[in-house]
Amino acid sequence: MSAHVTELLALAAAGALDPEEAARVEAHLRDCAACASEAGAWRSLVERLGGMPAPRPSRALVARAVEAVEGLLAERRESAWNRAALAFLVAFAWTMAVVSWLLVDLLTGELALRIERSFGPPAAWYAAYLVTGWFSAAVAAVLLGRRRQEEGRIT
Amino acid sequence: MDPDRDDAARLRRGDPAGLAGLMGRHQDRLFRYLLRLLGEETVAEDAFQQTWLRVAERIGRYDAARPFGPWLFAVARNLALDHLRRHRPESLDEIDEPEAPGGVDTDPLAHAVARQQSARLSDVVAGLAPRDREVLSLRFEEDLALSQLAETLGVPMPTAKARLYRALARLRERLLATAPAEAWR
Repeated sequence: MSAHVTELLALAAAGALDPEEAARVEAHLRDCAACASEAGAWRSLVERLGGMPAPRPSRALVARAVEAVEGLLAERRESAWNRAALAFLVAFAWTMAVVSWLLVDLLTGELALRIERSFGPPAAWYAAYLVTGWFSAAVAAVLLGRRRQEEGRIT
Repeated sequence: MDPDRDDAARLRRGDPAGLAGLMGRHQDRLFRYLLRLLGEETVAEDAFQQTWLRVAERIGRYDAARPFGPWLFAVARNLALDHLRRHRPESLDEIDEPEAPGGVDTDPLAHAVARQQSARLSDVVAGLAPRDREVLSLRFEEDLALSQLAETLGVPMPTAKARLYRALARLRERLLATAPAEAWR
């Protein structure tokens, strides 16, 4: 029996031939006792391979894997929250810087004189500026506090 | 709906429930594959854990239009082959010489299955080269079709077919050498 025929019979038993090849092999086996015997041996081997005992992961191993992945997911969540908080604080800082510049200009420049006549004294604007500063500090404190809480939960 | 796709989407959003679903469906076959490929239980356990970590890290790269199983096995395979290259750089195709008959069996897989009816077959499979063990496990234990086998191995279908035949031929050759009267003759 040639090596090519042996290969075809083995692959037929393994279910690795395309339908046309498999049909040709089957047709040949009906007329060739030697090849039919060889094909039977390959089928027997393949069936035994599929029936080998199946080792399974222990519960402890699965639990360790789950714990490791959950730790990774928690790190990712924390990292995403930190990025978002940082982006917000940076944007807020830039906003405050621009607003401060406008306020200083309003309180000290020619515009202040015009606004004073229609919107009130510069002291009111200064008070508004202070309140805004206090508010921004409070927001930052809340954000930092939440982060500390999250870190405490993870560790 | 494909539950794997749903769970992969959950995992991508950082939901641990997605991981639970994927592990529940794939953990047994993944562990069996790693054990066949790596041959040592402790190494396979480490690779098992590393595989799920890698899955969680790279789930964003998973194409949900394709089945999850081959992608998972490809991730596991890369990790396992990296390990084999680091620890056995000589050749992934080299045959592991099995213990002498009656000797102490140091391969946990072979030790576990030696008590079963197909002890001889398992012993001989465990003694094959990693690449041979891998292709046999993927085709006959994990029941991957030839196209999935080729995708997992990262080779064209004709190459996958050639590897499959080579593994079968080597297995049968060894079986005939150790037990010529058995049915695989």
